[in-house]
Amino acid sequence: MRDVYAIGIGITSFTRLEFPLSEIAAYPVMMALKDAGIRKVDHLYVANMGSGRVNHQTGLASAVVDTLSLTPAGAEVIENGPASGGSAVKQGFLAVASGMHDVVAVTGAERMREVNNLEVTEFVATLTHPLAEYIYGVTLPSLAGMFTRAYMDKYGVTSRHLAMVAVKNQNNALLNEFAHIQQAITVEGILDSPEALTNNPYVADPLRFFDCCPVSDGGASVILATREVAEKTGRPLVRLAGIGQATDTHCVHERDEPTDLLAVRRAAAQSFKMAGVSPSDVGVAELHDAFTILEIVESEEVGFFKKGEGHLALERGETQIGGKIPINPSGGLKGRGHPVGATGVAQVYEIVHQLRGEAGKRQVADPRIGFTCNFGGFGNNVVCLTFAREN
Amino acid sequence: MKREIYAYRCRKCGHLHYPYRMVCAKCGENEHNEFDPEPLPTTGTLVTFTELYALPGDFEVPTLGLGIVELENGIRITGQLQIDEPAGGMKVIGEVEVVRSEEYEKYYGMIFREA
Ligand SMILES: [Zn+2]
Repeated sequence: MRDVYAIGIGITSFTRLEFPLSEIAAYPVMMALKDAGIRKVDHLYVANMGSGRVNHQTGLASAVVDTLSLTPAGAEVIENGPASGGSAVKQGFLAVASGMHDVVAVTGAERMREVNNLEVTEFVATLTHPLAEYIYGVTLPSLAGMFTRAYMDKYGVTSRHLAMVAVKNQNNALLNEFAHIQQAITVEGILDSPEALTNNPYVADPLRFFDCCPVSDGGASVILATREVAEKTGRPLVRLAGIGQATDTHCVHERDEPTDLLAVRRAAAQSFKMAGVSPSDVGVAELHDAFTILEIVESEEVGFFKKGEGHLALERGETQIGGKIPINPSGGLKGRGHPVGATGVAQVYEIVHQLRGEAGKRQVADPRIGFTCNFGGFGNNVVCLTFAREN
Repeated sequence: MKREIYAYRCRKCGHLHYPYRMVCAKCGENEHNEFDPEPLPTTGTLVTFTELYALPGDFEVPTLGLGIVELENGIRITGQLQIDEPAGGMKVIGEVEVVRSEEYEKYYGMIFREA
């Protein structure tokens, strides 16, 4: 296999966007091409989950490649639920590593706010098992609520720990001009104040409003290329060094241990092994905090902390910018937002930004290894990527 | 006729599945349909639960109790709860009833109450 480098990155604001989905997908590709100093690619991968259902548009990749005047380059949509972004980056890697293409663009985009919140919840709930989960009214927040309760019972995680994740990530988002949520919150304000039940209502007990990521529109892109092409850009060399992917049972109730996220554990281990590094080498990570509990549990499952001790590391401030292993300096899904197809690519955007040392006010001190965890379904399809800065 | 929910036992190794799979999760050796259906028991223990406040649009109740129950044969199932104060480890008993109604279709599933 050939080495593969991330040579250009681009992103839109994550918010409500009044642009067609194809433009939300295309705009960050333009930025990423400009960032890399190139005009053409051999192939385009578009990560998206809902175009057909939410936006009444199919064949999205054909629209995006055309609006960018990149025809006749090949183009296709990669759909893998909320892990579509990670999967599309993986496909881009394979295309370059195999020798089939020298330069590919990967973009992730979603326009979810074209419909109301009920329709979004319903759309995302179609990820669940049709006969054994969906028919009951099971949604992703309800799976997260049940998981959180089991975790609290077993490991002593409290609502206060969950709120600490929300506060950390929303504070980080204040340093990110592309982040959806630009609101400073405090643990006291969302848990203890007399207004807490009004401003932070329950969504899926014990999870509350501020434990859940917002519904966002947005797009993010990365250009992947060979070392030869990467060297010509004159930019810091960031190599996509490791990829891991693992699946788990479709039904959450079938998992032997209700508090394990085995697909996260396995995908992370594969990714680190391929990159030849260990979790303790990681200097900055973007983890899939669609719900606050997930950041804590993923930080354990990927190997940053022992199982059941992620909330203790959080208490000690180890996951803050400036801590031992900064997690979600971008704001994560919680602060940056979660346009489902875009998220995995937005994680890559942040890690490349950080490894280059270009992240400005939220820059982590000189990271050499960066890591992303993109979590599909309720942990039934997970993609983990490891990046290494080489010069 | 009393409605039941079925689990599926592999004819090669005896492993019991819920929900249905086309290939056995344990031995991986059987052909399509080499499973024997058997009705799930209705009593078990509540493993975890939630009260959902943000419901899918077609539900006409303000909140919905959902839980994972370990049935007496060891199989776990997701179901709706009609329990005022659920608690982990609580003994529950289920009945197959309408759990979701759409315009032209009713869906049946397990609703659990405190035993
Ligand atoms: Zn079998």
